Amino acid sequence: MQLKMYAYKCTCCGELHHPKHYACRKCGARSFEEIDLEGEATVVTYTKVYNLPEGYMKPYLSFGIVKFDNGLTVSGQIEAENLKTGMKVKTSVGVIKEGVGKDYYGFIFRPVDE
Amino acid sequence: MREVGIAGVGHTKFGKWTEGTFVDMLSKAAVEALDDAGIRTVKGHGVDQVFVASMGSGMINRQSGVASALVDTLNLRPAMAETIENGPASGASAVKLGYMAIASGMCNCVLVVGGEMMRVVSGWEGTDFVATMLHPEAEYNYGLTLPAFAGMFTRLYMEKYGVTERDLSIVSVKNHENAVHNPVAHIHVVPSLYAIADDEDAHVINPYVAEPLRMYHVCPVSDGAAAVVLCAMDQADRFAKKPVKIAGIGQATDTHSVAEREVPTDLLAVRLAAQRAYDMAGLKPQDIDVAELHDAFQILEVAESEEVGFFEKGQGHIAARNGETRIGGKIPINTSGGLKAKGHPLGATGVSQIVELVRQLRGEAGGRQVQDAKTGLAVNFGGFGNNVVATILAREEE
Ligand SMILES: [Zn+2]
Repeated sequence: MQLKMYAYKCTCCGELHHPKHYACRKCGARSFEEIDLEGEATVVTYTKVYNLPEGYMKPYLSFGIVKFDNGLTVSGQIEAENLKTGMKVKTSVGVIKEGVGKDYYGFIFRPVDE
Repeated sequence: MREVGIAGVGHTKFGKWTEGTFVDMLSKAAVEALDDAGIRTVKGHGVDQVFVASMGSGMINRQSGVASALVDTLNLRPAMAETIENGPASGASAVKLGYMAIASGMCNCVLVVGGEMMRVVSGWEGTDFVATMLHPEAEYNYGLTLPAFAGMFTRLYMEKYGVTERDLSIVSVKNHENAVHNPVAHIHVVPSLYAIADDEDAHVINPYVAEPLRMYHVCPVSDGAAAVVLCAMDQADRFAKKPVKIAGIGQATDTHSVAEREVPTDLLAVRLAAQRAYDMAGLKPQDIDVAELHDAFQILEVAESEEVGFFEKGQGHIAARNGETRIGGKIPINTSGGLKAKGHPLGATGVSQIVELVRQLRGEAGGRQVQDAKTGLAVNFGGFGNNVVATILAREEE
């Protein structure tokens, strides 16, 4: 079970990555340290999807790409109605998919003022 | 470098394949292409290599080693054979590898067949199967899908450039109108712009799939196969028809995780792949007479028409509104009906685009013919733009 999400910081030049890479996109170095990726973020774009893949029982689900204050952009699920681009969200880590004998954890963003 | 051309083309009717197995479907397209090229399937046929493009035969049809199966079914043994997987760009990748095989001097004649039989699984399984090309941890596990990324990309485009849902419907209707004249297209019914965009009940027949994308802004799920025979231009007289030359091929990759892209409205792999293809062909965007762009989602036709240099960034939807991308317009796009109306059997699509361009350049496109087309561009888009292949064909002057 994983309840924390990480950014991968190049130990050579400091460039942040998410997801994990084996070579730094900026300097090419190959050593990284894990930094907690949490706190507030801003919605870059979002969608509400009505035809979910195998394994989801819900009629629809919202997703977004958000930008953290450290500049990293990631995809995740968003639990909010009346979404807008530029909206502030807070980060949580929760079950994003129920697998067979295993749950998958990842970002679930919610409005800050909730 | 040795020049390579296309001597024969074949194409099954896209839609629901009901005439047998996956290999039956590939065989039908292959035989049509061999016949078109005038190649008889007897000893001394001269086919050195067979490439099969398919994304999911192993996953959804439970068959691996498909190229080996096809080469035997067609009795083209002992030709070399490989199956090529590059997501929805598998088809153009296989054509590229065929080009490389001939240009290198290793082969003189290569048969490329792309195919996908997707309508054997439920809608959710199909959506899940296509989504397996996304980043496993950063995307796929979230339930993210290709339509989800297309929806998010569309929203950015709308907010930045003023694209409307109606613009996407205009592109959709245009492609459906073209498909009516393409016998192998999946859908031959044309929706009216009024019914899917303007009527107060339009949302009922055109509901959201992934907001702000609606059903008529997304391609259908299709079965189908397409085939081309590639040949060395220095052996063109072996074939029934004068080969159409492959003038340029370009390919480029981008970040696997879509969120990592610096400018989220850019499709850098499309831009770079097209640039490389133009450079190789010694041509510019304004030299292209007809184009097949990968419109799995209608926003992609708009964005790609900008990235390949037909229109300024942010102007693609205006050009579509003004009819510049219709047959008879400045640059006709998706005369075949595109993925939207011709259908999108993943592995087949890149090959199918080449088949359409060959038909256009030969003057065999019937009711959808672009007058005196001499050059054509195809863009085959893999992943959500993380692996893109652009191909330019040119008809040599008599
Ligand atoms: Zn670095």
